[in-house]
Amino acid sequence: MNPPQYADAGASRSLSSGPLVWATTIFCTTLLLALLKQALWLVVPLLLAIVLYYALFPAVRRLTLAGVARETAAAIVAGGFFIAAAVAMVPAVSWLAGNAVSGEEAFFRYVDTGQRLIDRTLALLESQFGFLERIGLHAAIGRKIAEYGGTHLQEHLTAALLGAAAWLPSLLLAPFLAFFFLRDGRRFRNFLGDAVPNAYFERTVYMIERVDTTARAYFQGLLKLTLFDTACLAAGLVALGIPGALTLGVMTAVLAWVPLVGAIIGGAIVVLVTATDFPAQPSIVYAALALFVVVRILDDFVFTPLTVGRSLRLHPLPTVLMIFVGGAVAGIPGLIVALPLAGVIMVVAGTIGGIINDPRLRARHAFARTLRARRITADLQP
Amino acid sequence: MLALFQARKESPRLATLRKLALFAPLSRLELRVVDGLLHERRYLKGEIIFDEGEEGQALYVIISGRVLICRQGEPETGRISEIDAGVAFGELALLDNAPRSAQARAAEDCVLASLSRVDFESLLDSHAVTASKISLQLARQLGQQLRLRAPTADRKPL
Repeated sequence: MNPPQYADAGASRSLSSGPLVWATTIFCTTLLLALLKQALWLVVPLLLAIVLYYALFPAVRRLTLAGVARETAAAIVAGGFFIAAAVAMVPAVSWLAGNAVSGEEAFFRYVDTGQRLIDRTLALLESQFGFLERIGLHAAIGRKIAEYGGTHLQEHLTAALLGAAAWLPSLLLAPFLAFFFLRDGRRFRNFLGDAVPNAYFERTVYMIERVDTTARAYFQGLLKLTLFDTACLAAGLVALGIPGALTLGVMTAVLAWVPLVGAIIGGAIVVLVTATDFPAQPSIVYAALALFVVVRILDDFVFTPLTVGRSLRLHPLPTVLMIFVGGAVAGIPGLIVALPLAGVIMVVAGTIGGIINDPRLRARHAFARTLRARRITADLQP
Repeated sequence: MLALFQARKESPRLATLRKLALFAPLSRLELRVVDGLLHERRYLKGEIIFDEGEEGQALYVIISGRVLICRQGEPETGRISEIDAGVAFGELALLDNAPRSAQARAAEDCVLASLSRVDFESLLDSHAVTASKISLQLARQLGQQLRLRAPTADRKPL
């Protein structure tokens, strides 16, 4: 006997990915991003906590595999990580304190080089294309840079430093959140599963698992991608003889977490550092730039499909749209969280869409409610 | 001091789970792990647990009450079996990844423990011994059901 049509799960699944679900996903993601903008101090530690959770989760899993209780495993792994981080921070802080002055000098040296590089490039462009000289491109951009460096930079730098100082304490939330995610993640999943009516229970359990799988695939993929990027860039920069190759590699790989903008800033930093350290050897600057471009191409066409890949199962068009919406609504944090947020909302909206489009499930729920109401009022009949 | 070395008494919840055939061979530690994965669901008499043809995402074990397994929408004429406390059902959809082969309804008020497909698969990965004990119990239960459904003359061990 063929199963009745109303009970066909495949049919409801195909309905669940309709245009309404897409529209709901985009609307809810935008709304959440707008709300997140109001609580950015919480978004950054939350994002770091999620990255930490997925980074430490395999270790907790290994310990539970060895027979350690989940709570104990979470405490051991999180405790071990925090101790290691604290031990690593001590020499890092003392090194930073010792090199603060030389670091400041280096910063201004890189800024000067960058300005000279822009001057030289603009002068070259004007000599090649006469109309640029006629419209006074070099002079206009020079004025803008001077103006920005004079007043705007001071204002923005002060605001940025004050903002960072206000955010720093909230960053301490990240390790605590990560520990509780590791310890109570499963309990929370069970709590959510237990909260739904019987008719929707199996769908909800499936949805929770898909949300977890999507987020895990994305964030673990992102961490692997960062490792690949760091390794390739650092190896290339070492081969070119550029000092601080590992730091540059880590910096550009982490900047790549910010879609579109991150890669441009990372490339600019690599060029700036190389141009400053090797002012008389433009070939090294071009080689560093070429290396950066090659790593980006490898990243886009090899590493990303291997790591983050299709974890979010989003079409390229809404993907790009969500990146722009994220940037417009919540700035840099919006750019970073827009994609994983949209991926998770897509799963939730798809499941809710599947339930709404499944009259049988709704009828079963209504029937169960009637049964309960009858039971409750059984002795109240006149 | 001696209390430290004495075997701790099993909690009522674990004692209840141990009475279920599916979890009977598990040690206390294994039972605690499985308990963390189970969802307890309560159904009223007549309530549908799952429909025939539905995508199965979980298996159920009856903690108390009875469950009727029947053809879709035919609780009287399409009755397949009625199962009692301690028995698992809905496991076929998990084992062969196929849609539910029959409808399950609460024959009386019942309390069920549900183990989702994902949790069962993660148990296979993280606690292979525990999962293999549960799988063996499931296989035994399926064998028993096959023997009961086969004609009397065929009820010989293979």
